[in-house]
Amino acid sequence: MYLLEELSRKYKRISIVGMAKNAGKTTALNYLIEEAMDEGLTLGITSTGRDGEGTDVVTGTDKPRVFLDTGTIVSVPTQLYDLADAGLEILKMTDYSSSLGQIMLCRVASSGYVQVAGPVINANHIELCEEMLALGARMVLIDGAIDRKSIAAPGTSDAIILSTGAVLSRKMAKVVEETVHTVTLYRLPVLEEGRERELIEEHAAQDKIILIKEGRPVSLEVSTGLGAGSLLDGEIDELTTHVFVPGAFTASAVADINIKKLRHVTFVLKDPTKIFIGATLWSRLKKKGMNVRVLENIEVAAITVNPTAPAGYRFDHKELVDAMQKAVPDIPVIDVML
Amino acid sequence: MADKTAVAQIDLTKVKPYGDTLNDGMTEVAFTLPVPYGDEASEAAKILAKKMGLDEPNVVYSKEMTPEYTFFVVYGKCRHTVDYTTIKVAKVEVDVMDRLECAEYIKENIKRPVVIVGASTGTDAHTVGIDAIMNMKGFHGHFGLERYEGIEAYNLGSQVPNEDLIAKAKELKADAILVSQTVTQKDIHIDNLTNMVELLEAEGMRDKVILVCGGPRISHELAQELGYDAGFGQHRYAEDVASFVLTEIVNRNMI
Repeated sequence: MYLLEELSRKYKRISIVGMAKNAGKTTALNYLIEEAMDEGLTLGITSTGRDGEGTDVVTGTDKPRVFLDTGTIVSVPTQLYDLADAGLEILKMTDYSSSLGQIMLCRVASSGYVQVAGPVINANHIELCEEMLALGARMVLIDGAIDRKSIAAPGTSDAIILSTGAVLSRKMAKVVEETVHTVTLYRLPVLEEGRERELIEEHAAQDKIILIKEGRPVSLEVSTGLGAGSLLDGEIDELTTHVFVPGAFTASAVADINIKKLRHVTFVLKDPTKIFIGATLWSRLKKKGMNVRVLENIEVAAITVNPTAPAGYRFDHKELVDAMQKAVPDIPVIDVML
Repeated sequence: MADKTAVAQIDLTKVKPYGDTLNDGMTEVAFTLPVPYGDEASEAAKILAKKMGLDEPNVVYSKEMTPEYTFFVVYGKCRHTVDYTTIKVAKVEVDVMDRLECAEYIKENIKRPVVIVGASTGTDAHTVGIDAIMNMKGFHGHFGLERYEGIEAYNLGSQVPNEDLIAKAKELKADAILVSQTVTQKDIHIDNLTNMVELLEAEGMRDKVILVCGGPRISHELAQELGYDAGFGQHRYAEDVASFVLTEIVNRNMI
């Protein structure tokens, strides 16, 4: 399948987001890099963690290395520069520091293996992507780290590739279920155009919780929803229709809200990466009648599956792809290990 | 001494343990096996030591811990070597200042109090790590951040949920957050540490604070993977953390 061609027509920046560690993010990255080589498409490659080192710092297992073609734009911190066997031309020293040294932007002058690492802060990634595109990359791929999903945020990339696999559970049904939960969250309905949306967008920059009561905005004097459940319960009255939470939407933000109140308001979040409620609690809250809308959702361009787990067990390649494709019929599912 | 007959030379590309003479490989290991004390137990320990790469293993001590369990001390000659010349370790690239230099640095460059909030988070009940860095008395003769002039240090203690730590940091407008993970099982500290980063991103705070993790299993390389600005392992003290935080405040123009 020619995934990359399709993607490059629609998107400039793509994040590779993992459901867990060892779900196959780097393998997915390599798959796209190979397609780009065939197509002659110049890529920009960066990572929120580190990629291309021989062994994993957490599990000690082997990690796939990253081979980059001539012309690729890549972010490399100073302490990893010497470890590259590709020839790297340093284009620019950026202002972003990382624990592995200052981040440099390089162009691959002669192809070879490279250890890639980029800024750990999302806001920095947004700027870095712009620079890579300006330096001639036609598309930028941001590789995630461990299970850090915040790079999926719509501001950071135009679309994501979700990497999932056997590492999640020994039961295939569970792997599918958890992946579907994440996809469902990422495609949560967007708050429709109208008076409420206008009000929220107008006041969102204040970074405060906003209640909309009969079309009028009321901002609360709290800057975080964390642990604000009982406060919210007190503030939500019969006139309240919408509750905008600017930051993280956690179990503690909704825990103390009376179920009747929970049912008749709509919670509005900036985007799905703000949700920190697990699959089980989420479905329980949904059953109780909780409504959640987002200002922007996340485009899931593809799902990659890895049927083997580092613990040693594996699923049948075709069975896993088929089960996943059946559960999410409208997103291409790719087995990157084939 | 030039005519001294050298028996062995140090070869940094092939270093091995030193006991009585250079490169003899002498190594001591201690472990417990779930077998009853006796000759068979000692034999099992020897076989295991051989598999570990120890030649001529010698069980110098064995003792019943409790029925069916035996503790061993084994000596042997390690057959493996390490190429020391190819080792590269990521380190915090910062000039370490002592406590008084830090105070001076704040006065000259930052010109306001620096707020640092720290805790041992999640299920971790151990305060030894965060206390060593933050408490006034410090650790090993290195005073903690509470004693630093110009630094307002808040130690929230142990088993602090990530959400509470973030809420407190937000309330205090903290410049830096220190997260300690001392003893955790099955890599749960990894999940807990990444959850912290994700919550900070969601709260829109990640680019406004310096985020540091620490603990015996934390390295600077791991910090990059986890999404932290720095990671401090063993043998790092308050001055290492303070120097990093203060330098970053200036580098990032958070003055």
